[in-house]
Amino acid sequence: GYGEGSDPHTPLGSTPFPLPPGPGWGCRAVLGEGHQRTVRRVAWSPCGSYLASASFDATTCIWKREEDGFECVTTLEGHENEVKSVAWAPSGNLLATCSRDKSVWVWEVDEEEEYECVSVLNSHTQDVKHVVWHPNQELLASASYDDTVKLYHEEEDDWVCCATLEGHESTVWSVAFDRSGERLASCSDDKTVRIWRQYKPGNEEGVACSGTDPTWKCICTLSGYHTRTIYDVAWCHLTGALATACGDDAIRIFEESASAEPQQPTFSLSAHVPRAHSQDVNCVVTLHCSASVLRTSVEAEPSRKKRPRVSFSRHISRIARAVFPVSFLE
Amino acid sequence: MAAAAANSDMFDEIVMAEERFHGEGYQEGYAEGSHVGVIEGRRYGSLHGAKIGSEIGCYLGFALTWQCLLQKCVDEKNCKKIRALDSLIGMIQKFPYEDPMYDKLQEDLEKIRGKFKQVRSMLNIQSDFRIGTERSSLTF
Repeated sequence: GYGEGSDPHTPLGSTPFPLPPGPGWGCRAVLGEGHQRTVRRVAWSPCGSYLASASFDATTCIWKREEDGFECVTTLEGHENEVKSVAWAPSGNLLATCSRDKSVWVWEVDEEEEYECVSVLNSHTQDVKHVVWHPNQELLASASYDDTVKLYHEEEDDWVCCATLEGHESTVWSVAFDRSGERLASCSDDKTVRIWRQYKPGNEEGVACSGTDPTWKCICTLSGYHTRTIYDVAWCHLTGALATACGDDAIRIFEESASAEPQQPTFSLSAHVPRAHSQDVNCVVTLHCSASVLRTSVEAEPSRKKRPRVSFSRHISRIARAVFPVSFLE
Repeated sequence: MAAAAANSDMFDEIVMAEERFHGEGYQEGYAEGSHVGVIEGRRYGSLHGAKIGSEIGCYLGFALTWQCLLQKCVDEKNCKKIRALDSLIGMIQKFPYEDPMYDKLQEDLEKIRGKFKQVRSMLNIQSDFRIGTERSSLTF
């Protein structure tokens, strides 16, 4: 199809912008034809060719990157209300979405770009805020308003909830796995970050497991550092540092102290940028480039204009550009 | 002395009358309340049970119909759909309808609902429910 621009060769749903001169960030495209309401989250596929956008209009759009812009290849429907998050599995074949309707949906995509729902998981009892995949296993984690983190995997052709992490005293807003996937960080409205560790059956520490599923235990709690709700946490896979996005407008970086106790790690605050943004910091992402590690903060304001930018905030389009070189190099 | 004891019993009855009536009234009220509560509970329970039964019955009818329709075209694409339909029908038929004290009742019901939504998505059937675009509820 054709877009509304004067150029008849513009694919539907994108408006190309001229590149800015010199170094810096510039908006490459605005995908305005996909959603009717706020775009809450976007995610690049591992191969870098597709972008998924999750919206409050209860749909998730999949956009394909073409030479001259983006084209919406499909719209995933099924959630009853606002979709809060979307995430691609590292394999690139699976996608997860979560919503205020308390469910987590797992979708599978085949070589012909056909998407099919493989599971609808109703384990949470409240709004699910975030979903994230394990870095090297087909394991999915979700964070919810019901104060828990849940983990899911495939068992005999069906997805099931295999663990529930309880401990936070309020809404869990986000989760992040470390590089190995042995540990998970969760951040919450209770102003703490918790680190959880996986104990497999037959582990040396004597932690009990039920059946073949590992048990997850909280091994560290970072409290007293944040003065408001922590909306996002990111675990840098290059340096092992934790970055947090807080409602007090600040970004904080924590680094692990080299202690002899892997079961009881300690993290110390190594950087604190107060007033990093003029308002709540909703999202933080770590970028990995072959040369250096950049930590860029992102402000994810719900887009009132209903026309999201390549990833609903001017800032995320920076991320988009940085991710491309990484995807291609890999 | 015996006369004094008899006198105190007589006054005892009068003096303690209020407390006694209080107690009797409480017992009567409690009994009546329990009785009415049981009736209301039974009515609520049967309504709620009927609602669940209606919901699951709807899923079963839907699944059996589609199983019938897809029986004619057994190609690769439909294989997954048929498997999902069989799974849904199996879950519904295995559900213990006669046991309201089944400990996994809510959990299994949610699994059935989830499976139904998955099947409906695979068959590309849209729900009638659509959220209005005019909603302005605050959500994050």
